[in-house]
Amino acid sequence: MEKLIRSYLIAFFVSIIIFLPQVSIAGGPWTKAKGKYYLKLSEWGLKFDSHYTDTGQIDPNITTGIYNTFLYAEYGLTDRFTTIFNGNLFSRNVMNNQRSQTTNEIVINGDALNSVGDMELGLKYSLSKPGAKIPMAISVQLGIPTGVTGKGEFGTLQTGDGEFNQMVQFDIGSGFNIKSSNCYFSAYAALNNRTNGFSEEYRTGAELGIELLQNKLWLSTKLNVIKSFKNGELATEVNSTSIFANNSEFTSIGFEANYYITDKIGVSANFTSAVSGRIIAAAPSYNFGVFIDIN
Amino acid sequence: MKKSLNIYILGILLTFFASCVGDDFIMDFQEPEVRITTLLDTLEINTTFQFESLYLNHVGIEEVLPTIWQSSDETIATISDQGLVTAIAVGNVIIEARVDNGSAIITDAKELTVGMTTVLDNTGLSGSAQTTSSYKLEGDFKLLELDNGNLNLSFDESYCASSALPGLYIYLSNNRNSIADALEISEVTIFSGAHDYEIENAELMEYSFIVYFCKPFNVKVGDGEIN
Repeated sequence: MEKLIRSYLIAFFVSIIIFLPQVSIAGGPWTKAKGKYYLKLSEWGLKFDSHYTDTGQIDPNITTGIYNTFLYAEYGLTDRFTTIFNGNLFSRNVMNNQRSQTTNEIVINGDALNSVGDMELGLKYSLSKPGAKIPMAISVQLGIPTGVTGKGEFGTLQTGDGEFNQMVQFDIGSGFNIKSSNCYFSAYAALNNRTNGFSEEYRTGAELGIELLQNKLWLSTKLNVIKSFKNGELATEVNSTSIFANNSEFTSIGFEANYYITDKIGVSANFTSAVSGRIIAAAPSYNFGVFIDIN
Repeated sequence: MKKSLNIYILGILLTFFASCVGDDFIMDFQEPEVRITTLLDTLEINTTFQFESLYLNHVGIEEVLPTIWQSSDETIATISDQGLVTAIAVGNVIIEARVDNGSAIITDAKELTVGMTTVLDNTGLSGSAQTTSSYKLEGDFKLLELDNGNLNLSFDESYCASSALPGLYIYLSNNRNSIADALEISEVTIFSGAHDYEIENAELMEYSFIVYFCKPFNVKVGDGEIN
């Protein structure tokens, strides 16, 4: 047993090191088969000049941009255990200058920060046997604050939230057919335990996907909901802003396309926008990337 | 694979150009103003008193320009080119400060009584803070000069502000839409009820507004005119 655990741990960390984004066709309740993997290198960007306030209304703010380079990896340790790594390898946080419309002089200097962002490590366990009609999985994800906070002239630039967090997630889904096209549906619920004064969160979401062009193109739409328990410290006591602000909440809808150029290699594009929120950017984010899917 | 990488590199280049520091503009124009900052109600006969004024340009920033002083009745009080008032006879006069900013003549006037004793006007100023955003902010305030020369800004029980914003600060400013050249008083840490701030390095008549500003989002949350 001890040998098995040690082998597992070694494999876990080796897989993280070797397979240096965001979930697309990977993810959901489906685990990778033993020795199979999925890698995705992607660019994620968000530029916003307005945000949802604490009452859900939309207010203006200085134009702020966050641009991340993600590396997402899943590796099947066994047919039921899959390791997950989601690393923000490079993050750029930008704030515009604020200029006087009257004099054209800068009132508040803009600023930019480049650094590594936060990382996530996860382990997913399939609760159902491989090939089950309604697969279910449970996963644990650890958020590691490798990004930086409190930078820039006013200490308002950051590339991470500055807190360790642990999230437990339950996924369920099912594949089905519409005429000759493969389709899938999945849903999840998660609890995110956060530290450093941040409020705990619960998350839910669902995804619906369809395969087209003889298994080359997958189109999907995703719904994500994040709600805060608001049990953390006041915003004044937590040094976190923009998308990293404490007690953020949102409901977002996203659309994603994954196109397999070969059997194993493909490109993806994602567009996601919050349709409601609290203390969060009111602008769409985009994501595009390349992936390798070894099944 | 090459095709995938080319698409990806194209995307990175687009992101690179999108991620430069740009410019946002604020509408900060206001009418230029001359303000007599001397707080004097009555001046004792046969004494002198130095009057002060400041000129604020079209964005509310102080500029040093020559001031022309004038008394409405030189048989009651005279005023020198440097603003020194001499009380000559009992009565009331209007003291006027005038600045030529190159495009217009801007003036301010203040009534002065010449009497038997000098009386300073130390009743203080007051106003009401209100939100200019979707965040809650309201409350009545008073601004007084303390014996030590500092100012005291006190809010009464009517004060209430949203605690949802990170980095909310309060300023004294001469432009309600901008914190350029404003005096930062403090980060806001009290969100309801009576409280006060002691402010150094400021004079009672130096600023026209209090401004609540969220630093992380670089956005104004509310303001209040000081009257």
